[in-house]
Amino acid sequence: MKGNVYTVFYAAALGSACALLLTAAASFTAPYKKANAEAEEALNILLALKAPVDAEASAAEVLKVLGQTVQQKTRGNVAMYTYCPPDAGGKILAVAVRFSGPGLWGPVKGFLALEPDFKTIRGITFYEQEETPGLGGEIAASWFREQFVGKSIVAPDGKPGIIISKPGEQAVNKVDAISGATMTCDKVQAMLNEAIKSIVEEK
Amino acid sequence: MADSQPFACAACRPKGLCQGKGRVTLKGGSWANNPLAVQVLGICSALAVTNRLENSLVMGAALIFVTVGSNLFVSLLRKCTPHRIRMIAEVAIISTFVIVFDQFLKAFYWDMSKQLGPYVGLIITNCIVMGRAEAFALQNPPIVSMVDGLANGLGYAAVLAIIGFFRELLGTGEIFARPLLSGEWYTPNQLMILAPGAFFTLGIVIAIFNSIKGPKPQEKK
Repeated sequence: MKGNVYTVFYAAALGSACALLLTAAASFTAPYKKANAEAEEALNILLALKAPVDAEASAAEVLKVLGQTVQQKTRGNVAMYTYCPPDAGGKILAVAVRFSGPGLWGPVKGFLALEPDFKTIRGITFYEQEETPGLGGEIAASWFREQFVGKSIVAPDGKPGIIISKPGEQAVNKVDAISGATMTCDKVQAMLNEAIKSIVEEK
Repeated sequence: MADSQPFACAACRPKGLCQGKGRVTLKGGSWANNPLAVQVLGICSALAVTNRLENSLVMGAALIFVTVGSNLFVSLLRKCTPHRIRMIAEVAIISTFVIVFDQFLKAFYWDMSKQLGPYVGLIITNCIVMGRAEAFALQNPPIVSMVDGLANGLGYAAVLAIIGFFRELLGTGEIFARPLLSGEWYTPNQLMILAPGAFFTLGIVIAIFNSIKGPKPQEKK
């Protein structure tokens, strides 16, 4: 029978060895993962802005398109990505802002793109979410995201905000929620409205 | 010496690296005791990631890597691991290999990593890996343990590949995302992509497998 001291030392040694290996693996892959995450973000900015980009394009290609057509500007406290491709003659065709907040299971992050009038939604993407697949996870599905296109971020009575609720009454600032994912939809609505509020304030 | 080891394969006969158990172990793990089709272990991941052949293959590769690696290290450490903490030690070794593979995927195969989602990380809890460490590697020397890991990994990967092939073919009409069944006469069956399709396919694979292999040994008495 091996003693307790041996057991403790063995556990410590094994734990340290595994930790060392994992640290090595993590720090070795860190730059690659960072590049992947950046490309993913860039792709989502472009998709939200409805810039012509191939969703299968390589990371370098996506970053090139982003660098050529999108400028990052700060208005007040809000970082905005303005879409002004060279062939548009300096005109801003769309603007995107990042939104994020807690979802039901983890952080939800995405981009909301608006037309130059700062009122009409041009597109929306979610680049990070861990919601329940098939229920809350549907926020990333195209049928849910396409609903936002053309909607207004301002209610008919002039109050800023978008509503995600059960299908039924129609409104310019309302989209249908997902059945079985009320919590996720409520949280997405809250984080979108926070972003919308800051846009309207800084406009 | 070599004659007394009837099952030794050519590779290890000179040194008797796997003590003549190599071929038996390989056959047992991948065929006679196939983890998916006979023991019906680890089917959670088998059902979840097999909607595309490519995903199935990567998942199979991940499991082979993990079972070979963890079996090797569990076996190397088997004599100095205190019995009381052997399971947590096994889990520590297994999870190290799983996370290393996961990091590798995230760094170099980002799209694949996104598609497999949490299932690579969940290999840690896959009962095949833990089962082989506990049932085989703890009692056997390193080389033959690696063979056992390889055999079980191959057995798992092969069944996954079969399921993935039929689900992708019938569910989308494609293989490796290339159209194979023409849209003119074949309507993709969405059911095959969804969870029930995985259950049906796995059930049929198990049935066919067992009808080829014959009844289980204990039923032969």
